[in-house]
Amino acid sequence: MSSLIWYLYEFARKSWAESFAVARTNPEIVETPDRFRDFPEVFPEYCISCGACTAACPAPNAIRLVRSEDTAEEEGKAYPVINNRGCIRCGFCAEVCPTVPKTITCGENHLIREEFTILPTDRMFVIDDYLCIRCKKCLKACPVPGAIYEEDNKIIIDQSLCIGCEECLNNCPVKGAVKGIFISHIQEQKEIINLVVNTLEEAIEGKRDDISHLSDEDVYKFNLPITELVERARSVLDNDDLILDTFQKITDRLKLRIVTWDEDKCKKCRLCVDECPSGAITYDEKEDVIKRDTKKCLRCSTCYQTCPFGVAGYYVSRFLLDPTSLEEGVIHITVKASQLPIGAD
Amino acid sequence: MLDGLKDVVRKSSIHVCLINTGGCNGCDIEVVALLSPRYDLEQYGIYVHNNPREADVILVTGAVTEQWKENLQRIYSKAPEPKVVVAIGNCPLTGDVFNQEGCSVYAPVSDFIPVDAEIPGCPPRPSEILAAILAVGPDAIAAKGRQKP
Repeated sequence: MSSLIWYLYEFARKSWAESFAVARTNPEIVETPDRFRDFPEVFPEYCISCGACTAACPAPNAIRLVRSEDTAEEEGKAYPVINNRGCIRCGFCAEVCPTVPKTITCGENHLIREEFTILPTDRMFVIDDYLCIRCKKCLKACPVPGAIYEEDNKIIIDQSLCIGCEECLNNCPVKGAVKGIFISHIQEQKEIINLVVNTLEEAIEGKRDDISHLSDEDVYKFNLPITELVERARSVLDNDDLILDTFQKITDRLKLRIVTWDEDKCKKCRLCVDECPSGAITYDEKEDVIKRDTKKCLRCSTCYQTCPFGVAGYYVSRFLLDPTSLEEGVIHITVKASQLPIGAD
Repeated sequence: MLDGLKDVVRKSSIHVCLINTGGCNGCDIEVVALLSPRYDLEQYGIYVHNNPREADVILVTGAVTEQWKENLQRIYSKAPEPKVVVAIGNCPLTGDVFNQEGCSVYAPVSDFIPVDAEIPGCPPRPSEILAAILAVGPDAIAAKGRQKP
């Protein structure tokens, strides 16, 4: 009985009657919350026209790259335009946008900065199985469990787990067994390698008079300071770590073959012209001389083995960078006559 | 006088029919959220019937598949005048993620039936759908009702 009275009393209250008269949803419910990810906003002035947003977009009609018209002052710029009728508000375009500040903003996910990227350095660490002595010092030094593992008696670095801390490189007792390869600036690295190799070759050919007197057992040694080379390498790419690393790798691995050419001994027999596989040696009938084009030459030693008069000389040179620093570094060059047989078969 | 009375009645009582022409059902779920006590569609005098014969507003979702091309027009023809078509979500507008190369979707819906209001979003918020129905529904129905057939 009492419950029934309470029930009726509930309806008799003024507040109930008021809310019954104006039965409306609380406007706060209808309002869009702050965390809601709405359609992306585009700021064309930051855009670098990379197209990453169009590649990341899962909807076919949502993002289009358009190009503004060229004016007298400046060229037109390509920037993304969002079609709201195709956009699914996933926010991927804002997450992949590489510009700072972001060209496209959408929701809040793109504001999250990852604590570390997949590769925090621009180097990739690999183990050269040929040089590895399997001492497993890198395996013990590695701070990430499972990043370096042993399989089929090979020590392997798992690139998906590697954090690029360089511990393996610092603990390796063998020079060159763990390699920190720079995976950025590939074109610049090529230019630096070409620069060093060309300079070394020029330096050795400049000493031709000393080399040509070498007997089979003798070794000719001379030094080349690298200060000037470093200056030129820095003009290609100003990254001292990368330059030192590239210099070291070149001098460790390079085995340069040198072909010298002594025209005084030439009897114009033209045996070498036909033998040369790259057509680097030509005979000029008017001037009656044999010419060798150094740019075409493969350094294959065929002319050296063919010539009966010893016009072509063939030498092998090796290098060492010591001490390994960019300021005081000196490249020690050793040139040795090749042990190949001479004279046509 | 009679028109004025009709207007009041039409504006305060809108009957809605929901058609999914082949989408992911996300927009339909948002419409169901509208029916729930939180948004409470019926407080605005909007009733969902799912019967085109007594509908004033036809809500279209989905990207119009092969089977729906004729059925959509059939349903539209069965709704009594005055009628208003509201396209919900991106599917009826552009085909959205279904409009890939080689997919048999025939978006947009406006190729088949006249569309009065469009709500972009994938899916749109319930409040956006509500706002669109309220913005276009009552006045359009009243205005269409006054037209002489």
